[in-house]
Parts: sequence; structure tokens; C-alpha cells
Amino acid sequence: MFSGRGYLEKIGGVNAFAPAACCAAMKTTVNRRVMKLKGYNAGMNRFVTLADLIDIHRALDADRSTPLERRKERDRKIGAALQDHKAMPARQLRGWLELVDLPDWKRDGQRGAQLYRWIGASLALAGLVIGWGVASAVLHYTGDAPINVINALAVLILPQVVLLLFWLLAMVPLRLPLLGGLRASLRLLNPGRMARLAAQRFGHAGGQGLGVVWEPDNAVVLAPAARWLFSLWSQLFAFAFNVGVLLAMLYLVSFSDLAFGWSTTLNLDAGSFQRFVQGMAVPWQYWIPEAVPSAHLVEASRYFRLETGAIAIEQAVLLGSWWPFLAASLICYGLLPRLLTLLISWQRFRHHLSSAMPRLPGAPELLARMNSPLVRTAAARPEAVAEVDPNAARSLEHAPVKRTRCTLVAWSGSVDAHSAIQQALSELGIEPQGLLHAGGAHSTAEDETTVEALCRQRDLGVAIVAKAWEPPLLDFLDFLQSVRKRCARGQPVIVLLWGAEVGVTASDAEVWNLTLRRLSDPNLHIEVLP
Amino acid sequence: MSAPQFAIVGHPNKGKSSIVATLARDQSVAISPVPGTTLENREYPMRIDDETLYVLVDTPGFQRARAALEWMQAQSASAVHRPDVVRRFVREHRDDPRFDAECKLLTPILAGAGILYVVDGSRPFGGEYEAEMEILRWTGQPSLALINQIGASDYSDQWRKALGQYFRIVRVFNAMTADFDKRIRLLLGFGEISDEWRAPLERAVHILQTEQAQRRALSARVVAETISAMIGHTAQRRLTEGQSTSQALAALRDQYQRELVAMERDSRSEVEHIYDYAHLERHENVVQLLEQDLFAKQTWSLFGLTRKQLIATGGVGGAAAGGVIDLAVAGHSLMLGAGIGALIGGISTWIGADRIAETKVMGLPLGGESISVGPMRNVNFPYVVLGRALLHHRMIEDRTHAYRGPLELNVDPDTLPRFEFEVRKRLEKVFGKLRKQEALAPELLDVLATEIERLMERGEATHAS
Repeated sequence: MFSGRGYLEKIGGVNAFAPAACCAAMKTTVNRRVMKLKGYNAGMNRFVTLADLIDIHRALDADRSTPLERRKERDRKIGAALQDHKAMPARQLRGWLELVDLPDWKRDGQRGAQLYRWIGASLALAGLVIGWGVASAVLHYTGDAPINVINALAVLILPQVVLLLFWLLAMVPLRLPLLGGLRASLRLLNPGRMARLAAQRFGHAGGQGLGVVWEPDNAVVLAPAARWLFSLWSQLFAFAFNVGVLLAMLYLVSFSDLAFGWSTTLNLDAGSFQRFVQGMAVPWQYWIPEAVPSAHLVEASRYFRLETGAIAIEQAVLLGSWWPFLAASLICYGLLPRLLTLLISWQRFRHHLSSAMPRLPGAPELLARMNSPLVRTAAARPEAVAEVDPNAARSLEHAPVKRTRCTLVAWSGSVDAHSAIQQALSELGIEPQGLLHAGGAHSTAEDETTVEALCRQRDLGVAIVAKAWEPPLLDFLDFLQSVRKRCARGQPVIVLLWGAEVGVTASDAEVWNLTLRRLSDPNLHIEVLP
Repeated sequence: MSAPQFAIVGHPNKGKSSIVATLARDQSVAISPVPGTTLENREYPMRIDDETLYVLVDTPGFQRARAALEWMQAQSASAVHRPDVVRRFVREHRDDPRFDAECKLLTPILAGAGILYVVDGSRPFGGEYEAEMEILRWTGQPSLALINQIGASDYSDQWRKALGQYFRIVRVFNAMTADFDKRIRLLLGFGEISDEWRAPLERAVHILQTEQAQRRALSARVVAETISAMIGHTAQRRLTEGQSTSQALAALRDQYQRELVAMERDSRSEVEHIYDYAHLERHENVVQLLEQDLFAKQTWSLFGLTRKQLIATGGVGGAAAGGVIDLAVAGHSLMLGAGIGALIGGISTWIGADRIAETKVMGLPLGGESISVGPMRNVNFPYVVLGRALLHHRMIEDRTHAYRGPLELNVDPDTLPRFEFEVRKRLEKVFGKLRKQEALAPELLDVLATEIERLMERGEATHAS
């Protein structure tokens, strides 16, 4: 069986390694707003509210523009201060809301949630008025004919029981064939529907994030919460309806003289009716025995037994004693079940809000940032790099070499004998006059000897064969400048790039060009050995 | 004990900075073909909250290694004194611009850093490296040689022979293509060069592995959220008077497609952010939709109710009002009140609805004629989106911070991974609910994300017919 809780703990970093030392250290560095948190902790046990949900949704949206590194650092600090609530992601998120400081965002979820409260209040008021109206109609007594108890039960109790069954069908997650369609049609009858449509319409227009509950993108996460909000509204209406009925009944009982009778065309004798009403009264028969109709009352209050015309005083007292039974029936089969469904709806709504909050888009990432150690591997300060002019290579690339006789120098063991590159040298118009060595495994003293040898042949140019894949180091540039300064003052110095088996790549040639360009030597040439 | 330090040293242009960028996951490292780009030592501490586990130090490359070694050799021949000679070299040449690079790169080593000597295994060995390696040997610090395979040619055997004479451990590592496991193995290798460094490096590796698992889980979550939102997504547009339905529908389909593309694009960025790629250039072909994939409908509505629902609601309202009258007269009206009320409610709703629908409240019309597109009904759609997301995730997970090219995701849809029957069955359970938008619950996303995470862990969705 899949455990959603386990999943959240995992993704939110709750089970991640958490070196105790790190958190203690983080707590010491957490910002001044921690003082505010201490006060806030006292209220951490309250339920997640719709206002919290709206706030977190809007805050996560606003936070997208904050650079990731800043978010990581900030949230880890906040997370360290909220470690005590690590196993309760919804609480941690609420704590984060208290501590975070985001530009272009303020906690105005309460304003948004206000509309929902108005909707709830309106439905409660509507239920109360309708309940009062219906009860006033049903218990209407002019003194001519007593109120039919059966009619009162049929109007005030029976529909409620039926609607309660409908509620069970709609809300209990039973998987039965055809139930889906029935549920869909029941939702149409739900008074919460109009409330939802109003919230949907004005939520977006108000721009206060009210639409979060109904946004299609949040449907998967918030569908159960929305369903129970729906139920909460409808049960609030139903509960208020029962209160309205009871209040009307108490009013009428207190300020008018009601007389009840019972009558039906069905073949129902007094005994059967008495068993029926006593059956109904079983739940309260021991606590409120006066609310259980006696056999005498049932027998005496049947319509055809009543005398026509004005009812005698003794009889009126007797007939009026049906009201405790009616009131108890209303409480037992209307008010209390609705109170129960209201509380269930309220509890389930809260539960699903708490469950949805850490699953809102962006919330798992936030929890992970708060609960997992902040791992940083990047450099703490910016890098100082050498400025390179990408256009610098051009002047050397196109400098032509005149046909010339040169002394060949193999730099860093690039070539062993000029016969290996004879053909390439001919193509470039270079006539080699001996081969010297420098660089690489040779010592700087040997380099010096090579320079001296070059100085003895001042009428020749200098061609240095270098491995193209090895970048020109300062070591090479030292040698080059030494040759130029000491022997070949006006002679051409040609750097011949050799690429071994793979040839000289464009990027290697570019590296050499860029580097040698820095010497600003007009007689320095660079050629690629074919 | 202070955190171990590792100085990345070597010849210029042999990929030192690439290795640092990859291991430090830092895109700010300057990687340039021009030698001498790195002017200063730069530290890359691996920190867990406020605790440093190890430090990588990128250094400038050797420039005058032969001259430096010759100076050292002229000072002493005794092996015992060689580290002191190197120390003296640095002390005496600290302000000498000729040996600026050598002094800088030797400083962290003399302070106790381990040596990570980097060479390019795709280029042949040369005598010019010997002076560098000799200087490093003179420091007496624990060391490891890394053959960085930059190009296609392979001279690693040649290099192993040469490096083996100077370094106890020689590893091959390609900074551009090394996936997470290879990076981890290399870090563990750093721990092998000195016993006292093993524990902090093992801890660092454990933390990085945990972080990697969490990154995968978060990416899977983002992908699950995106797929869920894309399947259920709808686009709606109100028809204005005289507007052609077909034209409006075509425009709406375009809008729908654009919105889906934006959702997918945002999801890519989120996954890239999870892996510390903040501004990655990405080339990706957009998800293609066929007209028949989209469920389009034209409806009239008021307060979000269709005409049928509205009439039923009006009828129920009328009946309720009539019912109250019936009750008031104690049923003597034979329930005619309710019947008549229902009829009047229904008819008046029918007649008045259009006028009410045109009414605007706070600038918004209460209802009217509208068209909508979506949700997506093509059963293969979520698998295509998932396949593309898995491919993207794999490329991001395997990408190194040394590689600076754009992310190429232009793939042929036919080459996307197929899913095993069992995997498809499990996924279809979720996708089916999302498609029908029924039995929606947050746990559905958890299940989908867990399934996607499994696929990510396996590296790819396995192929099956």
C-alpha cells in the first residue's frame, strides 16, 4: 500500500541525514525574525486554514523570481529554526510564511478567505430563514383543525433522512457501479454549488488567490479539500435549517397555542402508529420520557376522534403535548446528524487542507530546502581571469613568409630530424640549414647553448618547430624573446606548428596565434606545417 | 582537524578548470583554450551548512617549470630537504613575476593540500612534463594523477607509464562527460591518497548521494505535476456576437497548444534549477498535438451552469417556492403549488437566461456562448510527455558544469522510450483518473511521482513492444 505520508517525509528531506551540529550552527545565524517566530510557535498547533493555503500558494508563486542560491540559503536558515516541526510539513510551511520576507508579496490570505466566510454565513442565514419559514408553514395552526403530526414528520424529518443518505452516498468513497453518475447529479442539488460558483467568479476577479481551490492546475492536489468545503457549506446550510425549524417551533410553542392530531388515509391503526412513534423515540426514551407519545395521546389525537369545532381545554392540553416528541425528533434525526456531518466535513476539510498544503506546486522543493543540509560546492568568490582579445590572432594568421633559409630549432622534442618535415618545409619555402634543440627535457643551459649557436648564424632566419597541441608557455616565450634580442634582430622568426599524426587543429592554431600576438613582433610569423 | 584540500595542478590547457567545474558544479569557472586564463588560485569548498568537508583549489598552470626545478636542484640533492627547498623557492620568489604561476600553485600544496595532477590523455606525453612532475614529487605531498580525456585520440597507456613513475594513483576521468557515479568514484579516489582524508570524503560522498536522490525525487515530482496539469488542462474562450465558431476554435487550439508548451518549458526549467543549472540554453522541439486529440465543445452557460442545468435549477427553485405555499395550506393545494412553481421557474429561467448571461458584474459577463478545448484525450499523450521529460532529466543528471554547450533535446518522437507492460499498467491507472478527472487526490501525484522516480533511477524507461 502506498503511503503518502512516507512519500512526503522522503521528498521533504525529513529522513535526510541531518547532522545535529549543522542545525545548531544554523540556528545561531538565523536572522532577527526568529524572535517573531518564538511568539508564533505558541500558535503552531492551530489548524491549517484556507488563508494559509492561499498565502503559501501566492508566496511560492512570488518566490519564483528569487535567485535559486538565495532561496536555498534563506530557506535553510528558516528550516533550521523550524526543526522542531520537521515531521509536520504543513506546520513548517506555516512557520515559513511567518518568517519569510518576499518583495511583491504580503500575507493577505485572510482577505481572500473572508469571501468564503461570507458565503458560509450567507448559507447559514439562508438555512435559518428557510427553516423558520418551513416550520412556520408546517406548524401553522388557526384553531380550526389540529396540525397533522404525520405531515410534520413527512416534511421536517423524512426529507432530512433522505438527504442525509444522499450526503453519505456523495461523500463516502464507495466504489459502486453507477454511483459516479448519481454522485454527479447529487452535486447539482447541493446548495454549496452556487457558493462555489460565486467563489470561483469573484475569487479570480478579486485577485486574492481565492481561485487556488478551484484552479484546474491544482485540481489533483485540492480536489478532496474542495469536495469537503462543498460539503461543509451544504451541512452548514442544513444545520442552520434545523436550528431555524427548532427556533420557529419553540417560538410557536411559547407564543401560540398549538394542537396536534394525526390522520392518514392509509390503513394505519392507533397501535401501529404508536409503535412507529415509540420506535422513533427509542434514542431518547430514557432521558426524556415526556417526549415519548403515550398510547393514550396517540389514541386521543386521531382526527376522527376529535370533536368538531373548538377543542376543549383539557383536550387542547393533551393535543399540545405532541411538541416535545416533534422537537426531540428534529434534534435526533435532523439537528444532531447535521451537527455530526458538519463536524465531519469541517474536520475532513481541515485534514485535506493540511494534506494539500505541502503538495502544492513548489512546496515539496521548499520543504526539501528547509530540511536538507545546504550543500555548497561552488566557489565563494568570483574568478579573476585574463582578458583575451579574440580578434588579436588575425594580424599573425595572414603574415606571409618570404622564401628564406633558416636554422631549424626543435622545441621540446617536436622533431628529431628535419628530414621528417622536409616536404612540409619545402611547401612553405623554408630551406633548413641544420637542426638545433631546446625546451622540453633540455635544460635552460642547453637552451642558452642553442641561442648562442643561432647567434653565430646571423644571416639566417630562425624556424622553431613546436608541438601545436601544447600551448605556448612563458618558458617558450622566454626562449623566443632571447633569440630575437640576442641574435635575430631583424631576421624573420617563424614558429612552425606541428600536429604529429592528427594534424594541427584550428583551436590549437588559435591558441598559438593569440599568445604570440602579445609579443607585438612584426617579424614573427606563425605557420602550420602541412 | 581541518578539511582536506586538493590542489588541481598541471600544465596549462589540460582541463584543470573543467575538472573543477565538474566536481564543484560551478558554471562560473572560466574555461578557455587560451593558456594562462586562470590567474589566481580559486577555492571551491564543499560545505554542508556551515561545515567544510573538503576544498578544491584551482591553480594557474606551470609556466617555467624547468627553471624552477633547476633552481631547486641547485639548492640541495638530499631527499630529506626537498620539501624545504620547495618552500624556500616559494618564499624567495613570491614577488618574482617570472615564477608567479609556480609560487601560486605550490602555495596550497605546501600548506598541506593533496595534489591532483591533470594531464590530457588525448595528446602524447612529452618531456616538458617531467620538470612539473619532479617539482610536485619534491613537495612530498600525497598525490593522484588524473588523465583527462579531452579529445578523441587515446594516449592514456603512454601516460600511465610516465605518470606511474611519479604518482601512486593514476585515474582516467573525462570532465566533460563524467556522469554522477564517475564523479563520486573520483571523489572516493581522493580519499585513497591519504588515510586521514578518507572519512571526510566518504561523508561528502554520502551527502552528495543523498542530495542526488532527493534531486531525483523532486524532479520526478515536478514531472508528475506537469503531466497531471497538462492532461487536465483546458482552454476556454467566450464567443462574441457574430464571431465564427471555426475561427475561434482554431485560435483556441493554438492557445491551448501554446499553454501546454509553456507548461512543459516551465517544468524543464524547474528540473534544471533542481540540478543547479540556472540559465541553460535548451533546444527542444515542441510537443505536437493532433486535432483529433483534443476534445472541443461549444457550450452556453450562466454562472457556470449549462442551459439544462440552469432550467433544472430554476425548476427546483420554483418548486421549492411553490412547495412552501403547499405547506402553508397544509397540502390542500394537492401539491399544485410545487408543480406550477417548477414550471414557472423553468420557463422564466429559459426566457430570462440570455439577458442575464449578457449582464456584466465587475466587468465580467455572467455567462453566454463559449467554446472550450481539452482535456487531452489521446491516451498516448502522457507517455510522450513523460518520455520527453525522462530524456531531459537524464541529460541534465549526466551533464557536467564543465560542458557549456546548449542542451539538445530535438528528438524524434519515434525514438522516445517505450514502457514495459507492468510499468504502463501502473501508470495508466493514474493517467486514466487524470484523464477522466475523477477520484482526484493528492496521493495520486505521490504515486505518479514515485513511479517516475523509479524510471529515473533506472536511467531510462526500458524498451518493450
